[in-house]
Amino acid sequence: MEHPILFISVILQALGLPVPHTLVGDTLLAKLVSPHLTYTWLVMAFLIIMPKLTLGKLELVPNGRQNFWEVCVGGLEGYMTEQMGPQRAAMMFPMIATFAFYILVANLMGLMPGFMSPTSNLNITLGMTLIVWVTHHILGLKYHGIKYINHFTGPMVALIPLMLPIEIISNLARILSLSIRLFGNIMAKETLLAILFMLYGAFFGPLPILCLGVLVSVVQTMVFVLLSMLYCQGAMEHAH
Amino acid sequence: MFGDRKEWMKLMSVFGTIGIHMCASVFIGLGIGYYLDHKVFKDKTSPWLTLIFLAFGIVAGFKNLYQISRRKDL
Repeated sequence: MEHPILFISVILQALGLPVPHTLVGDTLLAKLVSPHLTYTWLVMAFLIIMPKLTLGKLELVPNGRQNFWEVCVGGLEGYMTEQMGPQRAAMMFPMIATFAFYILVANLMGLMPGFMSPTSNLNITLGMTLIVWVTHHILGLKYHGIKYINHFTGPMVALIPLMLPIEIISNLARILSLSIRLFGNIMAKETLLAILFMLYGAFFGPLPILCLGVLVSVVQTMVFVLLSMLYCQGAMEHAH
Repeated sequence: MFGDRKEWMKLMSVFGTIGIHMCASVFIGLGIGYYLDHKVFKDKTSPWLTLIFLAFGIVAGFKNLYQISRRKDL
């Protein structure tokens, strides 16, 4: 999908860099300046610079700007503690919160003209999903050792040849479903916005879809975070 | 009210994954079977492993549905 105007790509093209017009470029330099990667760096820069600018020094009695970040981080941590218990929530919090903020900012950024969502590329969502998937298996092995295989063998010994492939397929399907859900929703939003903008953008045509886009962005962030929490928690629990 | 809404959101996100997870299970099963048939065993077992693993994938999708319907904590 060719986007109308992407300002980082325009700037980089003016600097003489080979910005690819397809999703991924051919050479290493073209890959490094492809739009999804540059906008990922923009999200990273936003998430690093913006708290630095607004937070400054932490105070005991928070002012308005600190209140905002305390509500964001504290709300997320409270929700995780409710779901997983305080100790596990403290262990999982850095990874899950990183995913939450990154996906939320990346999704919402695509609603502005001149920007695009990096999460509308399957490579990026697949990368995040693989991190979650590998992490939940590592957690399972750490908590149960070799007994982790009990999660895959089902309740009865006689049914192991039947249950093992089923459970493995069901587990591998998590990669596909988690990555394709996020990618599909965000790419549909981006494509629909681009088409509506080109068709009747002068008459505020994309406005209803922009409203829906906010909802989709927030809901998909929540779904991704909640499912990665549930997967990690399921790996740490005992097999039923 | 707020607690209700959180619970509702959790239920929505869990049950919203049923459809795509079922679809993904079927395709993963089909993919494994196709790979085994055509790449590992060089067409000697075709089409049997594809069909068997497709059946495994479909059963995995329904098993996930059954497990979600039996969960007590949701």
